[in-house]
Amino acid sequence: MNRIAAVGVALPRLRISTAEIADAWGRYSGAGIEEKTVAAADEDALTLAVEAAESALTRGSVAAADISVISLATTTPPLDTEEIAPRLVRALGLPPSTTTRTFTQSTLAGAQALDSGFDADGPALVVAADAPRGDPADADHPFGAGAAAFLLTESGSVERLGSASHVDELAGISYRERGTDELRGLDITGYERNTIRESVTSAAERLAGNVNGVDFDDAAVDGAAVFQPDARMPSRATGNLSIPREALARGTVVGRIGDAGAAGVPLGLAAAFDAADDEDRTLAVFFGSGGGATAMLFEGRVESGLDAALDGGSAVTYPQYLRERGYVGTVDVAGGGAHVSLPTWQRSLDQRYRLAAGRCPKCEALTFPPEGACGTCHRRVEFERVELSRTGLVRAVTAIGYGGAPPEFAEQQRRDGAYDVALVELEHGGESVTLPAQLTDVDSGTVGVGDEVRAVVRKLYEQEGVPRYGAKFAPIEE
Amino acid sequence: MTEAYVVGAGQSPFGSFPDESYRSLFETAFDCATASVDAEFDPKRIDEAFVGTLGVGGRQLGLSGPAVTEHVGLHGIPTTRVENACAASGYAFRSAVASVRAGLADVALAGGYEVMTDTSSDHTKWWLGVSGETEWERLSGTTFSGVYAQMASAHMNEYGTTTEDLSRVAVKNHANGARNPNAHLGFECSLEDAMAAPTVADPLNLYHCCPTTDGASAVIVASEEVAFELSDDPVRVAGMGASSGHVGLFQRDTFTSIPATRRAAEAAYDEAEIGPSDVDVAEVHDCFAIAELVAYEDLGFCAAGESATLLREGVTDPDGELPVNTSGGLKSKGHPIGATGTGQITEIFEQLRGEAHTQVDSPRYGLAHNVGGSGGGATVHLFERADGGER
Repeated sequence: MNRIAAVGVALPRLRISTAEIADAWGRYSGAGIEEKTVAAADEDALTLAVEAAESALTRGSVAAADISVISLATTTPPLDTEEIAPRLVRALGLPPSTTTRTFTQSTLAGAQALDSGFDADGPALVVAADAPRGDPADADHPFGAGAAAFLLTESGSVERLGSASHVDELAGISYRERGTDELRGLDITGYERNTIRESVTSAAERLAGNVNGVDFDDAAVDGAAVFQPDARMPSRATGNLSIPREALARGTVVGRIGDAGAAGVPLGLAAAFDAADDEDRTLAVFFGSGGGATAMLFEGRVESGLDAALDGGSAVTYPQYLRERGYVGTVDVAGGGAHVSLPTWQRSLDQRYRLAAGRCPKCEALTFPPEGACGTCHRRVEFERVELSRTGLVRAVTAIGYGGAPPEFAEQQRRDGAYDVALVELEHGGESVTLPAQLTDVDSGTVGVGDEVRAVVRKLYEQEGVPRYGAKFAPIEE
Repeated sequence: MTEAYVVGAGQSPFGSFPDESYRSLFETAFDCATASVDAEFDPKRIDEAFVGTLGVGGRQLGLSGPAVTEHVGLHGIPTTRVENACAASGYAFRSAVASVRAGLADVALAGGYEVMTDTSSDHTKWWLGVSGETEWERLSGTTFSGVYAQMASAHMNEYGTTTEDLSRVAVKNHANGARNPNAHLGFECSLEDAMAAPTVADPLNLYHCCPTTDGASAVIVASEEVAFELSDDPVRVAGMGASSGHVGLFQRDTFTSIPATRRAAEAAYDEAEIGPSDVDVAEVHDCFAIAELVAYEDLGFCAAGESATLLREGVTDPDGELPVNTSGGLKSKGHPIGATGTGQITEIFEQLRGEAHTQVDSPRYGLAHNVGGSGGGATVHLFERADGGER
């Protein structure tokens, strides 16, 4: 049975305070949420998943090539129909033999993904990433975004002691109609609250009922991450149990992140594991509209760096928030764009995600992209594939201002404003090449020639409605 | 191999002409070129034509050459479209000279045209973007001005070049263009204006960028024997140089120089057996202010990093030691992509014959420098007055 060996988290840089939203609407419907994360125009569930998974891999001791299973949980896949986990496999450089599992449809997806990771034969990556949206006047108030990734191996420091579920048809509590990206609820407060409490209680009692041979006393848990669409729900949902208040506090992060959908409980778990001692027990209870609840009990501790991620960030105003999330208008650009066909794009994925360059076997110089003749000796050679360093130096930079973007980037510019494009010098084995790439997670005009930046995977643009992803560069925090 | 001479050259006005078509603009340029030939000139003497155009707007992407030569009555001759982005007609001229030198033609026509102001700004952006490296540069979100802005940022960082230096290019070229009735933006501008303009792609502002322009130009090239029959004062093609380079800026070893220009210049100087200090007047490719500064260095007018000093000291003013862009350059005269290269040659032809609007003092050698994209291609041509400078 696998154990949790490492945890990584990813939170968008942008944040908005409850006060901003309350000012705009005269009220606020996210109880106990003081601040939440805001996915920027180039961020979505996939880019957050990549960042969290990279962090988990960095913190763990398993090479990407040794991962055998990847399980992804999200209620906001970038496309309605299309497997998303393979994009993650590509971006992380996992082997093509990796078994992929995608869990979606409800916030219970995080539990299902973890289940499959624990049961996996070999090292597994479990990633829960979400960026839900709703009607800005109503359901959207509490929605944030984030991702948590768990690296599971046989020798991890956190053991899962048991798991139990309560399953029922609980339709309509939180749902997204076909063809829309906005979540809605029935808004029958009393009914919803009771349903959640009954499901959570039942799952926890099954766990306590020793179904899995677990010795479990809910009053004795040290930490608990419970379904958290807002900050009051964890204590309301566990009202029939006797989980200590301090334990719930360890695993409740919604107050600073917002409702991160399927990533909510996983992020809470990351916080609880950070705060735990080696012998501490942590309870997780996932709830999903339509399906019920799943409870899991863990023992041990592991670091995720969530606190540091929470402490970063940059505040936006409510109008900026609406723009960034794409609530304000859409762009319909005439004149098409520079057409790079899908087959051509497909051939560049390794270069876009993994910064793969070619080393010339004759002169040793690097060429990027690694095709055609060597950029230095101009001989036509079979390049040796190398991955460039993921940090590099800015060699030239410009700001593309409002309205000045090529058609492919008009939507991003409308949402996110002016952006910078740099030539970034990346090194491998004493040789270097330069790539053109956008800067992200930074205000335009603040990165100059000579500054150090690091590669992050972001959405570049969409063509025919299909997002294309690749490397952008973010400044390195001092 | 025979020597080649320019016996006639002309251009349409450059600007925005909603009532003209690419054919009518080419016709105007063609008529000006034939009219500038000293002797009575029968266009039927033209044996072959090379026409440069990017085809902005997609108006006639295929067979763009014959589409204009048939319009001016050049029926049945071989006509070739040359597409090398902004260096299209620089390359068309090269082909015309090659044809004459090789004896394939006694008289060859080189020209170009572009209509850029009759489409929406989104559509124009698409057409400007297609000359940059598409897969990586364009799809990182860079515009064409963005690529030159990156060059400017590197030049500023490496050599301490300032936005004021960039603005001085605009001031000089606008002053020259104000005396050119064919210029698109024929007004003068102050350094204050040129400094205060809105940013286009930092550090470049509006005054550091050339306009999108409609226009056409044409040059008539003749063999030595025919040249002196047609012209009292033909201009000798003293040296030709051309080079390709990496299409993407990011693929080059340097961001503060255009290697294609350096190679083209070296070839042209070698053939002409002269050096940069022999050049008396030059038209250089100033699509963006940084491009003119980089050109000074790449063409050997000064050492790397010293272009701003050259400009500041007035060396490239009309009354300086080496006047540059007396026509107003791309900045003021305008940049109708396909027409630019032979438009520059038209200015040099007029300078060497003493017929220019901003005439410099009895030049012997003139240089025309044309760049495609951000340096994916370049041509450098050197011209000499046929009488070797005696007038």
